[in-house]
Amino acid sequence: MSLYQWLLFFHVTGAFFLIGGIVVAGTLNLAAILKDRPPSQVATLYGLIRFAVPLIGVGLLLTLAIGLWLVHNVGYSYGDTWIVLAIVLWVVAGALGNVDGKYQRQTGELAARLAAEGDASTPELRARLRNPRALVISYGSGLMAFAVLGLMIWKPGV
Amino acid sequence: MLALVRPDSWNLPLFLHVLGATLTFGTTTTVAVVGFAGLQGDRERAAWLRSLNFWVAFGLLVPSFILMRGTALWILDKEFPGGHNEPGWVSVGFAVSEPGALLVLLMVILAWFGRSPRSRVAVAIPWLASILLVGLAIAWYAMSAKPGS
Repeated sequence: MSLYQWLLFFHVTGAFFLIGGIVVAGTLNLAAILKDRPPSQVATLYGLIRFAVPLIGVGLLLTLAIGLWLVHNVGYSYGDTWIVLAIVLWVVAGALGNVDGKYQRQTGELAARLAAEGDASTPELRARLRNPRALVISYGSGLMAFAVLGLMIWKPGV
Repeated sequence: MLALVRPDSWNLPLFLHVLGATLTFGTTTTVAVVGFAGLQGDRERAAWLRSLNFWVAFGLLVPSFILMRGTALWILDKEFPGGHNEPGWVSVGFAVSEPGALLVLLMVILAWFGRSPRSRVAVAIPWLASILLVGLAIAWYAMSAKPGS
């Protein structure tokens, strides 16, 4: 196999890890907020999200590093519109995902504390779970990854 | 270098196929994670996790798999009309997705019957999901690297 074929495989692997991890985290997050659950269940769901974190981290790394290598290998310009847009979306999605990760970790810790103190939900936990700004950041960062996938396929400007 | 010469009319089916494949990977991973978690802890915890796993498998994994498989036929029809001169990496896709469909069906059925914490069939679900994950990895290797082409 050529270098291009190996690079494409690892780049696509990164995309699978990144979007797969986002789907795991998004699904478990959705399961926590769609139904009024006791804090113990919320804590369990947020605890399971930790399995998505390495997938997202490795996915972010592979998509960017191998993606930049591919640009050089294929002979695209680093200034091409679709490449610049993809990098901007990657950076913004990564930054928003980082903010969301911290918020969700705090929510999980609150749920775990409430579970240990009688497992009764509080207005604070419910408010954190359904905080509109947090949801926009969370799902917005995920949608940006899907937008990057679209850019990789359509390559506008090429 | 297919990406460099791909006709525009292939973009939508290809996007939907890759989207379906990544969603299938994500939802299968979720089924595996929730499935393994549902095998531990007390009965009440096991019961709601197993019930959740049925809904993830039925409500998310099945539509994702259908999206991936349906759009695979769409792009295949554009790229190799009439099934002529299909390269080996296309066969790998079929070799994974056809038994994969059976695995998905089996997981949904077992997840339905496995909702009870007393049920023993739930043990199989995360392992079946893990097997499907290996199959998906083989398929995306064949689809992306296209070895032999």
